[in-house]
Amino acid sequence: MNNPATINRRYPLRPCTMVYILLVSLTLITWQLCRMGVSGLDFALLVLVFALIKGALIGDYYMALRGIGSLWRWTIMIWLLIIGLLITLAFVTAA
Amino acid sequence: MAELLVFAVFFSAYAFTRASHVELFNTYQLSLDTDAALINTLALITSSYFVMRAVAAIREEKSKQCIHWLLAALLMGFVFLMVKSGEYAHHYQQGINLRTNLFYMFYLSLTFFHFMHVIMGMVILAAVAVKAKQGHYSASEHTGVETGASYWHMVDLVWLILFPLVYVMR
Repeated sequence: MNNPATINRRYPLRPCTMVYILLVSLTLITWQLCRMGVSGLDFALLVLVFALIKGALIGDYYMALRGIGSLWRWTIMIWLLIIGLLITLAFVTAA
Repeated sequence: MAELLVFAVFFSAYAFTRASHVELFNTYQLSLDTDAALINTLALITSSYFVMRAVAAIREEKSKQCIHWLLAALLMGFVFLMVKSGEYAHHYQQGINLRTNLFYMFYLSLTFFHFMHVIMGMVILAAVAVKAKQGHYSASEHTGVETGASYWHMVDLVWLILFPLVYVMR
């Protein structure tokens, strides 16, 4: 299994550091959109997708579950999928 | 696993209750401090990164580095607790409690339940750091570090859903 925290000579940054930058970027975009007063179903679902992507990145890279297809990886992914579907359903119902 | 299920139920209950009280939830959501939530999100993401580096360090037999990364993660945990406590103090001064309305009932319950998990995670990380200092972990045997790290990542994972759901989505 590749360790995401190990330096890969092909890239200037460790994979986990690149994931960290991506997580921070998605968080800042979410916060900035919120500060701009953006609202509505499209916005809510976009922010939800960002959150689910971040969750999957945490599972795959921080927990290092990527590529091993373990029960834990599927537990995290199915948890995210179910949460995403239920929240989407609730927000669509409310719209 | 059990914690993830409980949080899933909490998130669903929040979302479906909101569907029946959209105006109430949208109005009171605006009273929350999104800047504090941003700082807390960054603190948890950063602490998770530090924990991951701690696991990588012990895998390379670098026990001292592992301890330093764990202490840095704990520091980020303290940042989270301080900022969140400040938010709770502000709400308390305004006379807001669980009975104020449905939105605050969910907001306070959800965030406080998560707050307790952060404290638990910090206790685990501190215990792991102490054991690492005592030389209990090596490149070949570091299950304790990985278990503590997984718990901390779970705490981070839950917050990554909680932050947009409670503070941002409307």
